[in-house]
Amino acid sequence: MTELACKKCKYINADTSICKNCGSSEFTKEWFGYVIILDPEKSEIAKKLGIKVPGKFALRVD
Amino acid sequence: MSKFYAVKTTANQERIVANLLEMYARKNRTNVYSILEPKELKGYVIVEAESYEDVVKTVKGLSKVKGVVKREISTKEIDHFLAPKKIVEKIKEGDMVEIVYGPFKGESAIVRKVDEVKNEITIELINAVVPIPVTVKADHARKVERR
Repeated sequence: MTELACKKCKYINADTSICKNCGSSEFTKEWFGYVIILDPEKSEIAKKLGIKVPGKFALRVD
Repeated sequence: MSKFYAVKTTANQERIVANLLEMYARKNRTNVYSILEPKELKGYVIVEAESYEDVVKTVKGLSKVKGVVKREISTKEIDHFLAPKKIVEKIKEGDMVEIVYGPFKGESAIVRKVDEVKNEITIELINAVVPIPVTVKADHARKVERR
């Protein structure tokens, strides 16, 4: 299972051609850092990163 | 107000632990808001939760977890993990690097050129009889010391 990060929203997708978060089809396997957001409303990290949905995200994509 | 705590893990199992923590937090309905696994931090994941007790409750019985650091981590200490620098931005011409991946793994080299756009560096291997410039991905090198 290859985990690819969306170039637009940094959402980590597995085995898909369309991003489950933003619908983009641009992915990269060159991503670093990993953050799992469980509660975007209460999470400080989600606020700082501008994440509004729960899920797995990369911290940096190349 | 959420707080941050470091969870000590078995080395190189940080991603697995982060995924397990997510599963356990959802299953046990603990007040865990996010789990951070920065590339720079080996052997730890950072958990954002309502309280220390919530973190302890979530990690309880989890394999590959060695414990929870009781001291709370401030937001300032986490900020630099959220905007990680590219490795190529940390390497300058003349730096000594060690190659950590590929056919030259374990070799020491001197950086001759840095291409930030392509995320590549041109190096000269120290132990080579004839110094031939080789271009490698910056992620395959680790900075050792400044010359």
